[in-house]
Amino acid sequence: MINDFHYLKPASVKEALAMYAEHDDCKVICGGQSLLIVMRQGMVAPEYLLDIKGLKELNYIRFDEKDGLRIGATTTHREIEKSDVIGKRYPVLVAMEEKLASIQTRNWGTIGGNLAHADPAGDPGPVLIALKAEIKFGSSNGEKTVPLDEFFVDYFETQMEHGDLVLEVHIPTPAPKFGCAYQKFNLLDSEMGIVAAAASVTLNADGTCADARVVLGNAGPTPLRVTKIEDLLKGKKLDDKLFAEAGKIASEEAQPVADIHASEEHRRHVLGVLTKRMLKKAFEQAQKA
Amino acid sequence: MSHAKYSVINTHVHNIDGVAKVTGRATYTFDVKLPGMLHGKILRSPHPHAKIINIDTTRAMDLPGVKIVVTGKDTLGIKQGIWRRYEELCDEQVLPLEKVRYIGEPVAAVAAITEEIAEAALDLIDVEYEVLPAVYEPLEAIKKEAPTIHEGVERNVNVTRHIEWGDVDEAFEEADYIREDWFKCSGQAHMCMETRAAVSNFTPEGKLTCWASTQSAYYTQGLLAGVLGLREGDVRVLAPYVGGGFGGKFELDAAMFCSAVMSMKLFKPVKVVFTREEDFIASKRRTPMFYYVRTGVKKDGTFCARESRMFSNGGAYTGMGATALYLSGFFHSFPYKWRGYRYDGYRVYTNTLPSTSMRGFGAPQAMFCSEQQIDWICADLGLDPFEVRRKNGHTEGYEVPGQAFIASCGLEQCINEIEKWVKSKGKLPANRGIGISSCGFMSGGIFNWFDSPYSFSSAVVTINVDGTVELHVGCQDIGQGSNTTMAIIAAETLGVKVEDIRVHSGDTAHCPADLGAWGSRQTLMAGNAVKMACEDAKKQLLEFAYAEMGINIVYDLDIKDRWVHIVARPERGMKYEDLVKKALRAKDGQRIMGRGYYTPHRKGMISPAYSYMMQAVDAEIDPETGRIKIHEVMTAHDCGQPINQLGLIGQLEGAASMALGYAYLEDMPMEDGKLMNPNLVDYKVIRAPEMPEAGIIEIDTYEPEGPYGAKEAGEGLTNPTAAALGNAVYHAMGIQMKELPITPERILKALREKKEQEAQK
Amino acid sequence: MEKQVLRFKVNGDEYEVFIHPKTLLAEVIRDHLGLTGTKRGCETVSCGACTVNVNGFSVKSCSVLAIQCQDMEVTTVEGLEQHGKLSPIQRSFLDHGSYQCGFCTPGMLMSATAFLNEAKNPTKDQIKESIEGNICRCTGYNSIVRAIEAVTQGKYKEE
Ligand SMILES: Cc1cc2nc3c(=O)[nH]c(=O)nc-3n(C[C@H](O)[C@H](O)[C@H](O)COP(=O)(O)OP(=O)(O)OC[C@H]3O[C@@H](n4cnc5c(N)ncnc54)[C@H](O)[C@@H]3O)c2cc1C
Ligand code: FES
Ligand code: FES
Repeated sequence: MINDFHYLKPASVKEALAMYAEHDDCKVICGGQSLLIVMRQGMVAPEYLLDIKGLKELNYIRFDEKDGLRIGATTTHREIEKSDVIGKRYPVLVAMEEKLASIQTRNWGTIGGNLAHADPAGDPGPVLIALKAEIKFGSSNGEKTVPLDEFFVDYFETQMEHGDLVLEVHIPTPAPKFGCAYQKFNLLDSEMGIVAAAASVTLNADGTCADARVVLGNAGPTPLRVTKIEDLLKGKKLDDKLFAEAGKIASEEAQPVADIHASEEHRRHVLGVLTKRMLKKAFEQAQKA
Repeated sequence: MSHAKYSVINTHVHNIDGVAKVTGRATYTFDVKLPGMLHGKILRSPHPHAKIINIDTTRAMDLPGVKIVVTGKDTLGIKQGIWRRYEELCDEQVLPLEKVRYIGEPVAAVAAITEEIAEAALDLIDVEYEVLPAVYEPLEAIKKEAPTIHEGVERNVNVTRHIEWGDVDEAFEEADYIREDWFKCSGQAHMCMETRAAVSNFTPEGKLTCWASTQSAYYTQGLLAGVLGLREGDVRVLAPYVGGGFGGKFELDAAMFCSAVMSMKLFKPVKVVFTREEDFIASKRRTPMFYYVRTGVKKDGTFCARESRMFSNGGAYTGMGATALYLSGFFHSFPYKWRGYRYDGYRVYTNTLPSTSMRGFGAPQAMFCSEQQIDWICADLGLDPFEVRRKNGHTEGYEVPGQAFIASCGLEQCINEIEKWVKSKGKLPANRGIGISSCGFMSGGIFNWFDSPYSFSSAVVTINVDGTVELHVGCQDIGQGSNTTMAIIAAETLGVKVEDIRVHSGDTAHCPADLGAWGSRQTLMAGNAVKMACEDAKKQLLEFAYAEMGINIVYDLDIKDRWVHIVARPERGMKYEDLVKKALRAKDGQRIMGRGYYTPHRKGMISPAYSYMMQAVDAEIDPETGRIKIHEVMTAHDCGQPINQLGLIGQLEGAASMALGYAYLEDMPMEDGKLMNPNLVDYKVIRAPEMPEAGIIEIDTYEPEGPYGAKEAGEGLTNPTAAALGNAVYHAMGIQMKELPITPERILKALREKKEQEAQK
Repeated sequence: MEKQVLRFKVNGDEYEVFIHPKTLLAEVIRDHLGLTGTKRGCETVSCGACTVNVNGFSVKSCSVLAIQCQDMEVTTVEGLEQHGKLSPIQRSFLDHGSYQCGFCTPGMLMSATAFLNEAKNPTKDQIKESIEGNICRCTGYNSIVRAIEAVTQGKYKEE
C-alpha cells in the first residue's frame, strides 16, 4: 500500500527547488514508473511528494552543432525515441530507447527520473556515458554539472543530495569519425538487461583509434566504465583480436552479482561477448561515418 | 468416415461473447461489487513447515474498520480435496488448524471495510509458530530420515501409480539397443491474467451465493458446501466470465473459502482477490518431475520396451496431482505401440506449494523426456526420426493394452505433413535447427474421483416462441470458447443460426451440473450433451411438422438455416419460426424443451477418444551467449472434425506460447521453499516480440464418439513443444538438454561439456 | 494527506473526483468511476491489463498517480465505441478472434488504439513491439497482431 503523503505541485523549477529545500522528508516524483513500485512495496514512504512531472521548463530537446544535445529532465523516453534530430545524430539513443521497457512506460517515464533512480541495470546510463554525456543537477543553493560516469556512486545512489533535482543531460556533438553501439542481454525483448554493454569508438584520420569507451550495464553498483579497455585500444589499429581481448578484460573487470536469472560466471562471460560485439559494431560505424 | 456438409460447423464464427469482451462489458469476479461489500485479505505462512502454536487476533480486531478475523478454529476444520472419493487424498484444510506445510499457506483471514484496512490488519495478527525441519525436493523427501509432512504418510509418498502391459523384461531382451536417461522437468505457473478471486454473499435465509473465478462452477459448489456444512443446493456459484484457468482453477481455493467463511459469520458480501504475488506463491502449479527413462529398440528402429520411473514434487497437498501422476505415465507411452511398457510414478509430498494439473496434465513433461530420447536413439543408431515414429505410431483400431481403444487416429498423416514441411525448409544455416515431437492427448478424462452422481455433462435446450433458443449448459467457458462451441453445435443440430442461440453457463442455480473445464472434456462430452438435447427438441418439432405439412411419413424431414424441409426435396417446406409457433399452440402452450447428457461407458480407463499431432520447432541459438530465438512453430493436428475455426487457431497459438514459455523461459526456482520470482518482472512469460509464427495443418479424421466427429484441441497442443525445442537445440548444436527450462546458461554449459568430451576423444 | 479535487475528462465526459493524492489512475477509473472494463493483473507494472490512453498516449494506469492527470483526457476501453458502434480495432479483434478469456483485451485494445493513431506503415515487428507491454496468457498474440495489421492496412475504414 502506498502511504499517505502531502502532495506538492510546483509551478516552476524555482518553486520546486524551494519546496524541496523546505521539506526534509520529501521525495520527488516525475513519471513515477520506478518510484510508485517501491512506494507500493512500502520501501519508500515519504511525508511529502514533490511532483515535477508537469514542469514544462525541463521538457525539451535542443540540438546545436557546436554545443551538442541538451535534454531536459522531464523529457519522456518516448519523446527522445521520436525525436528526429536524435534519430539523425545519435541513433544509438533511439535504438536504446526502443528497447527500454514498454511503450506505456516510455510514454510516461522520464530521462531525469531514470538517471536519478540510478539503477545499474538502467539502459540510458551506459549509452550516455559512452557518448561522453554530462549531467546538470542543482538545488536552491545552485547548480552543478558533472560527467555522467561520476554522477553514479552506488546502487541507486548518485552524487545528488537532498534538495537536488536532475535538470539536464548534455551530450557533446559526436566527432566526425565516431560510432557508438549498445546491446543488452535479456530473455525478453525489452525487459531490463541481465547485463549490457555500450561501446563508442572515435577514429583518427589515419584509421587508428583516437578514443574508445566501454561501459557495462548491471555489472556492478553503477554503470561500469572500463578504462583498461580504453587504454588498450587508444592509438591502435583496431581488429577482431583487440576486440576479443577487450571482451576478456570486460569479463574480468566486471563485478556482476548472481541472481536467479544468471550466475556470476555467465554474466561475466556474456559481458565479454557483448563488449567484443559492440566495439566491433561501433568501430564499423566510425569507419563508415 | 462421413463428412456431411455443415452449415455452421467449421465456418468463420465470432465468439458469442466477443462483443462483451472487446467493449469492456464482460464482468469478471474481479469486477463484482455488491452493496455493503467488505474486502478480505489472507495472512500467509512465512515458514515452509511449522506448528501453529497460537494465533492472537485481538490487535487486528481492534483496528477500526476491521469486521472479522478468522483462523482455522473458526471453521469446521474439514480436510478437503478434489479427489473426494478417496478420504486419504483429502488432505488440505484451507485454513489449517495445526500446522503449515508451505510458505504462503493461509493461516488467517480478515475482512474490513476497505482493502487497505484489511491489509493493514494482517500485520496485527500475531502468530506463534514452532518451526519444523522442512524438505523441498522429492528425492530428498522420500528418504527415510526426511521430516514427516503429513502424519502417517510413510516416506512422504502421497500417491503411487503403476502402469504395465506386456512382458516388459522379455521385450527388453529382444532389443538390440537400450538407452537410459534422467530428466528434470520444472514447474510452471498457470499465470492466469485474472488472479484467483471470489465474492461470497451469505444471507439470513441460509443461502450462499459465490462468484468465483473457477473452471467448474459445479465443483466449486460441491467443495464449498462440503467444507461449510451446507447443502449443495443452498450454495449457488456464479462464474460469468473467467480470466483464464489452464488447469489451475477447479479446486477449492483460499479466495472462495475465506470469503465464504467470513460472509457466513457476517451476513455480508466479502470479496477476496489474490495479488499477483499470492497467485504465484499460493495457488498451485505444474508438477515438477524427475524422470528416469529406459528404452529398448531393435536395430531397425522397432520399439520393444520402455520402463520409466518418475518422481514428482507434489508439494504440500494432493490437489489434482494424483491425476497428473497417472496421465504423465500413460502419455509417456504415447503415441507409440510398445510390446512391453512399465511405469512407476511416485508423487512425493514436500514443503513447497502444491502442484496440480496444468494444460497438458503431466504430458508435456512426459513428452519432453520421451520425444528427445527417441531422437537421440535415432542418432545413436543412424535412423530417420520420422520413419521411426511412423513405424511405431498408433493407428486406427489399436488398443493400448488394458487402457484405451483408439477409434480414430491421424498420426501418420501428421508425421507425413510435418516431414514435408521440414524438408521444404532445405538446409539450415549454422546454429539453427528444427526439432520434431509427436504426441497425442485425451478428449475428456473418464475420471470421477469427485464422485459426482450427476452425468459428466448435461444440457437443456428451450425453444422460445420466435424460434430463438435458450441453451443451458454446465460446462464452463474460461476463455477457451466453449460457449461458442456449444452454440455452434446447437445451431448445427437444430438447423438455426448461431445468433439464435443464447448460452447460459457458469451458474449452478440455472445450469445443469457438469464436471467443468478440465481434461479437454468439454467439446466431446458437453458437446454430445448439447447435441442430444437439441436432437430431442428437434424431434419434437419435426413431429408437428409432419402433421402440419401433411407429408408421407416415409419422407425424412430436416431443418437447416431456419428452413424446415423434406430432405429429398429441400424446396418443399416451411419456415422454422412458423413451425415453432404452431408447435407451441398444439402442445397447450408448453415450450419445446430438449434434454441431453453424456457419461462415458466402456471407453477404457482414460478417455473416449484421442487427438494426435506432430509439431516442429525451428530455432536458432547464439553460440556465444546461448540465447534462443524461435523462428517458427508448425503443427499438424488431428482433432477430428474442427468445430470452430477461429477457436482452433487461437487454441493452437495460445498453447504454443505457453508451451514455448515452459520450454525456455518459465521456471519457479525456490530457495528453502521460498519462490524466488513471485512477480511478473522475474517470472517471464512470452510476450508478442518473442512469439513466432505458429501454423497449423489440419488432418482430417472423424471421431465416432465425438459430436460431429470432433475431438479435443487446445490442451494437448501444449505437449510436444518443449521436446521439439529440445530436439531443435540438439540438431542445431549437438547437445542434449535434459533439464527444463532450456536456458542460455544451460546451453553454454552443455556446449562446454561437449567440447571437453570431444577434446578427450 | 489532504484529499484533492481531480478534474479531468474520461471518455469525453468531465469528471470531478475528490481523492487522496496517492490514488492511482487505475483506482479512480475502476473504483471511483466504476469503469471496470480496465483490468489489473499485477503489482509491478508488468502486465498492461490496466492500459488506458492519456491525451492519446498509452500508459499503464496502475503506474500513474491520478492527480497527475489533472485537466487531461483519458480514454478507457468503454470510450472506444460510439453509440454502440465499435471502433475499427474492436471490429478487427472480433473478426480475428484476438481474445479468449478477454481479461487482457481492454488493455490490448488501448495499446493498439494509441499505436494506430501514430503508426503510418508499421512493420510486423513494430506491431509486435506496440503490445509488448501487455501480457496475454491465452492467445499467443499472433491473432492480436493480425488484427492490428488489418486495421493498418485500411481494412476497417469507417463506412
Ligand atoms: C515495467 C518496467 C520496465 C522497465 N524497464 C526498463 C528498462 O528496460 N530499462 C531502463 O533503463 N529502465 C526501465 N524501467 C525504469 C523506468 O523506465 C525508468 O526508471 C523511469 O523512466 C524513470 O522515470 P520516471 O520519470 O518514471 O521516474 P520516477 O519513478 O518518478 O522516479 C524515479 C526516481 O528518481 C527520482 N527522480 C525523478 N525525477 C527526478 C529529478 N528530475 N531529479 C531528481 N530526482 C528525480 C525519484 O525521486 C525516484 O527516486 C522500467 C520500468 C518499468 C515500470
Ligand atoms: S496492472 Fe499490471 S501493468 Fe498495471
Ligand atoms: S485473452 Fe486471456 S489473457 Fe489475453
